[in-house]
Amino acid sequence: MSEENTEKKETVQLKEIITPSNKEVIIVAEQVDGIIQNVTFELLGAGRLLADKLGGKLACFLLGNNFTDQGAQLIAKGADKVYVADHVELKDYRALPFKKVIVDWISNFNPPPHIMLMGSTTSGRDLAPRIASYFQTGLTADCTELDIGPYEHVNKMDPDKLGYYPGCLYAIRPSFGESLKARILGPWKNPQMATARPGVMIPLEYDANRKGEIIPVPVNLSAKELQVEIIEIVREINQTVNLGEAEVIVAGGFGVGTAEGFQLIRELAACFENSAVGASRKVVDLGWIPYQHQIGQTGKTVRSKVYIACGISGAIQHRVGMDKSNLIIAINKDPDAPIFKFANQGIVGDVSVVLPEMIKQLKAGKKSSPELALV
Amino acid sequence: MDGAPTNNQVNNSIKNIFVLVKQVPDWSVKAGINPDGTIDRAKAKRMMNPFDKFALQAALHTKEKFGGKVSVISMGPPAAEEVLLEAIEHGADDAWLLSDRRLAASDTLATSYALYKTVQYLQPFDLIFCGLQTTDGDTAQVGPSLAERLDIPQISYCEDFKIEDGKLVARRVIEGGYQWVRSQLPALITIANSYHHLEYKTIRGAKLVQDLLRQPEEKSKLVKVVNLDEIKADPILCGLKGSPTIVARTDKVSEIGGNCKIHQGHSADQMVYEITQQTNILEFVK
Repeated sequence: MSEENTEKKETVQLKEIITPSNKEVIIVAEQVDGIIQNVTFELLGAGRLLADKLGGKLACFLLGNNFTDQGAQLIAKGADKVYVADHVELKDYRALPFKKVIVDWISNFNPPPHIMLMGSTTSGRDLAPRIASYFQTGLTADCTELDIGPYEHVNKMDPDKLGYYPGCLYAIRPSFGESLKARILGPWKNPQMATARPGVMIPLEYDANRKGEIIPVPVNLSAKELQVEIIEIVREINQTVNLGEAEVIVAGGFGVGTAEGFQLIRELAACFENSAVGASRKVVDLGWIPYQHQIGQTGKTVRSKVYIACGISGAIQHRVGMDKSNLIIAINKDPDAPIFKFANQGIVGDVSVVLPEMIKQLKAGKKSSPELALV
Repeated sequence: MDGAPTNNQVNNSIKNIFVLVKQVPDWSVKAGINPDGTIDRAKAKRMMNPFDKFALQAALHTKEKFGGKVSVISMGPPAAEEVLLEAIEHGADDAWLLSDRRLAASDTLATSYALYKTVQYLQPFDLIFCGLQTTDGDTAQVGPSLAERLDIPQISYCEDFKIEDGKLVARRVIEGGYQWVRSQLPALITIANSYHHLEYKTIRGAKLVQDLLRQPEEKSKLVKVVNLDEIKADPILCGLKGSPTIVARTDKVSEIGGNCKIHQGHSADQMVYEITQQTNILEFVK
């Protein structure tokens, strides 16, 4: 990723411009009932690499209430510093108070931190744009890779930005519906901000010997920040949608045919010990299955041991959510479907014909080969 | 004007509802898709951003239950008028298009600035509805960014809501569940795709748009086009100049495969049997 830009260099000598920053990388932590979420550890893993390349510190911003050893956990997972805002009004995530506490604290930094990262979750994607808008700085959504590197701005349309910028955040994300990934950057203003998809970055090993500093952060909230109140939080823990934990995911797409067709997907999933049902965005949009099942760019990212894609074409938006799975089995009646370009095993056939057969053979038993003569 | 509240308590009445919509390329149609997967925007078929349809429905529901006038706002080239007319067919009352060449290459921050100036130009408002995100940018950033500029609360990922005692009570999606929140008005809401689908066009709306298409002067009264000068936006903060981020480079996503084992042309039982023999899938069976 850090390979040199192969594009043709301009002959003009560009002035090197270093946007002032303290080289610090800040991760905004996510906690639910005091439990640090995996996406935070993943971001610490990615952030560690960025901070080391910049030669700066990795800090983690933790907001919540009644913390115990959470700060120490974050240090053990890679943070050099943990800013802790502990206040009863910060118990559960809300955009306005979280934004206020973070921008109050960051505004004290002179020069500002270099990079600020959050998870692209329902809270990170809610909070990050408000903070970026407040600081009038750039923000890239839903990154799948992050890196540090130089950038030469030669665009004559905005001569104010001309120059050679070292140490930019490379925020890399799949672009639109196109089969492209885009490297997005904005070295003109710090902090350079990005949100990163959960399940993509690799966390560091827990190291209890790591040293770090825990710094309490003042909390000053007024009625203005408290104008949204949480009435109720419902987490459906016993629901069957546990895409993150499942060993086997059976996912259905438009090729399943109908909402009723998803019954076959569920039946196949039920054949496995530890499984979940996934879906492509198209069928979620059609209302065949709830959003919680959606896998891909705008849904969840999974790394299951087995991923059975049924009637899913394999567009880039879906692919980014599942292509790290160990074994991908694709069933699609279109032999040219993109999914066959990156699956491990593919069956060209109609889902409604193949799935009943697969259910039958799986039910027939573990390892006991069916009474089927090879043709 | 219809939709004026009569039976509702005064404090639940809503006067002005804004809906932000965007015209995006329709990926499902092959026209305009280059062989390398990039988009030829001039040739591509266009549509209303699918998420914005949920937002439009939410605005129409609000008008139905609590009264008010639904104004649809878009930023884009003149062709974006198509999605505004579509919104009117569904029952929106009027529409505004911010169209200006100086907006080209706006990122989410520059876009939210331009929309902020548009909303300021058109205010007052009680509620602003946006789709959760667009299908061409997929960032979900413009809504919250606009709310920050307007200094109002936002409820993102909203999938259900009502107005109660003059406040917004909304259900939003969170990881593994949902939450109900109560917010002061005015507020900005981004609507998730788990909200109700957009209903059919109304007969009245469809007829109205049919008439408008025959009378350009009438059309320009209902679908008003404004530029940056009219909304008093600073061009320095718009478009490429006002955007703190740029796409520095794009790469084709490498094709991992070429080594997919394809099973084709045999009976389903044969092909499934091959899979069970060539993979470890049976180890995961109950």
